[in-house]
Amino acid sequence: MTTETVKKEQGPAGGSAGAGELVLETSGVTLRFGGLTSLDNVELRMRRGEVLAVIGPNGAGKTSLFNSLTGAYVPQEGRIVFRPREGGEHSLLGAKPHVVSQWGLARTFQNIRLFGALTALENVKIAAETRLKTGPVSIMLGLPNARKAERASDRRAHEVLSYVGLLEKMNELAGSLSYGDQRRLEIARALATDPEVLLLDEPAAGTNPTEKLELEELIRRINTELGVSVLLIEHDMRLVMSVADRVMVLNFGKKIAEGSPSQVQRDPAVIEAYLGAVAEEDEAAVAQAVAEGAGAQEGAGSGADTDTDTDTGADAGAPQWDTEEHK
Amino acid sequence: MSIKTSAAQGAGQDSPKSATAPLSAAARLRKVHWYQEPRWRRLGALLALAVTLRLMTGEEGTTQDLFLALREDFTGVGLWIWLAIAVAVWAVREFLTDQTSRAVEGTKKVSAGPLDRVRQVWSADKRVRMGVLTAVLALVVFGPLGVERYWQQVLVDQIAIFVLLAIGLNVVIGWAGLLDLGFIAFFAIGAYSAAYWTGALPVQPPVALNNFLVLPIAVLTCLVAGVILGAPTLRLRGDYLAIVTLGFHEIVYLMAKNADGVTEGARGVKVERFSVDLGFFSYEWKLDPMPYYWLLVVFIVLAIFLFLRLEHSKVGRAWTAIREDEVAAAATGVPTVRYKLMAFAIGASTSGVAGVAYASKAGYFNPENFAILLSILVLAYVIFGGMGSIPGVLFGAAFLVWLPEYLREWVDPKDRYMYLGALLVIMMIYRPQGVLPSRRRKRELRMAEAGVGGADATGPAEGRQP
Repeated sequence: MTTETVKKEQGPAGGSAGAGELVLETSGVTLRFGGLTSLDNVELRMRRGEVLAVIGPNGAGKTSLFNSLTGAYVPQEGRIVFRPREGGEHSLLGAKPHVVSQWGLARTFQNIRLFGALTALENVKIAAETRLKTGPVSIMLGLPNARKAERASDRRAHEVLSYVGLLEKMNELAGSLSYGDQRRLEIARALATDPEVLLLDEPAAGTNPTEKLELEELIRRINTELGVSVLLIEHDMRLVMSVADRVMVLNFGKKIAEGSPSQVQRDPAVIEAYLGAVAEEDEAAVAQAVAEGAGAQEGAGSGADTDTDTDTGADAGAPQWDTEEHK
Repeated sequence: MSIKTSAAQGAGQDSPKSATAPLSAAARLRKVHWYQEPRWRRLGALLALAVTLRLMTGEEGTTQDLFLALREDFTGVGLWIWLAIAVAVWAVREFLTDQTSRAVEGTKKVSAGPLDRVRQVWSADKRVRMGVLTAVLALVVFGPLGVERYWQQVLVDQIAIFVLLAIGLNVVIGWAGLLDLGFIAFFAIGAYSAAYWTGALPVQPPVALNNFLVLPIAVLTCLVAGVILGAPTLRLRGDYLAIVTLGFHEIVYLMAKNADGVTEGARGVKVERFSVDLGFFSYEWKLDPMPYYWLLVVFIVLAIFLFLRLEHSKVGRAWTAIREDEVAAAATGVPTVRYKLMAFAIGASTSGVAGVAYASKAGYFNPENFAILLSILVLAYVIFGGMGSIPGVLFGAAFLVWLPEYLREWVDPKDRYMYLGALLVIMMIYRPQGVLPSRRRKRELRMAEAGVGGADATGPAEGRQP
């Protein structure tokens, strides 16, 4: 459980703003829903320009952490600080979601939340326009600045859509795009707000292998070319291991490990809580089956389906991860 | 299982009676009784409709003989005519499906060509559009000169006023998706503003103003009132907001009614009519309805012009985003409360303009002119025409205001709103998107039916802590 990290590859991003500078820092964040503790004293340090992955079993509190960072949930205790590039710092604890977005944290959702009846272009324009200052009066009167803003947002939306490779589908309805395209459109919508930190909540869920590769490529480009720090929740270990500079592991709302992907993979606590538990359970089940004869398979692999996570924070502490450490 | 499928296909015969063998509990639950078959239910519904129509068109009851209507309606030949029509409609629908659908297809094919060409010309050539719009506008402006005085009055007092109101409410409910049941409260505030600033109320203003000068003041007053109501309540969604606005309406209405010393209470207020006096030019609006009509057309055209720009702008898109998914909109950086307040305030000020216009046209009004029913009716006009679509809202308001007036000649005047109600019921069943729906709204409705997303911001807020 070391906090010392080894950067896998030094990306050119973050070079401008001193390596090691923290862009996002939380300490002692605790979030409770009634008697249920969803986040327990979570510490998070994110350097500018890095890709930090948050992993953990179902109901570990990953999405709750995202919701706390973006103002959707207000943790009862703790400190969440965001340091934008131009200096100063903002406390994200209890900030309004749209204010958080305007400070420079953009997010995507685990269960895609696009504006389905609008076109892809309009979806992205909505995001781009939140950066423009034109009031309803100048729009109603058709003043030059309103028209200029309209053109600017149009340009920006085209730019972002072509960046994620959806330009030729810009006039299709968001709701009728394929799953993978919807995921990319969500990323485009987040990028259009010109964020410093991008929070991706399971961007690969439900995508096919080709789309996963494209997504991996896209995340890397966003990180290196645009210099955006990426905080990533993902269950696909191959994706995590290949794009993340560092990995943080949550279980039952607590951070149990942090470090480079290879370190985390070797961490016994992680293996027990997450990666290895499946194998052990399987082994145990096999052993049992061998001992007792056939018919003892039930329940062996039931908790192992890591691709269909539906945690919403509220169902934290799903009981299938039975580790000694947290009893 | 076989029972279910054969019954569902309903190949003419009643439900199979072969099910003599004891059924399992699950099979018994699955079993479809003959009367549950859709075709018999449809027949039942049509017969019930026939009886209702007979009652609607039949004898009127009196207090002397309470059962007169029932006796007359159920014994005469009229009932049988209605029932026969219902059975005939049902039979055509059930047994001639192939023929009717083929006929429908045929007419579609025949009309598709010319319709497509019209659509093409319409979207391709700006001159055509301008020409058509000019023609429509000319018809709207000069057409009413040819109708009777009575209809001219209806046109001004009701249709034009309600069209203006509906355009305002459309911003709130059609674009921002906020269910507002107290819209007429702002209408009342506008009317009372006109009364106050022209010096018609017991409390005197600092300076008595011309009715036209009251317009901007009323807009501002309603804007402020909209924000005051909206700021604490717009955190609520859907049903809750509807109740709050309903309460607001009642407060305004009862204040108008009971604050005798300020509003004259139920006695009502006499207001001066519109007049212009610029020294070199002066004009007074008198009893002839047409000058008022033209004035209102100016207001309506102005409102449409301004609001259409909003719809296809940053603001309109932000409203749509909020309506579809408020959580996602906020996460994308849209200041949701500010935009909802904006919609509320814009709607309220339109309502205020209508209030001033109404007061200055009628010359007299009392609190009963702002009854809760009107708030509901304006809402019905917007939904009937097609939420979010300006042409739809124009049509909805104009048609539904005109219909009861028109029915006055054909049915018992007391029954008029019954027909309006029946029309709304049928409309909501068969065309919930409205007569001329907006494209966005139609898509949303279709997606909601397919189980994707919500048609309104009325669903529970996910992902946000209460």
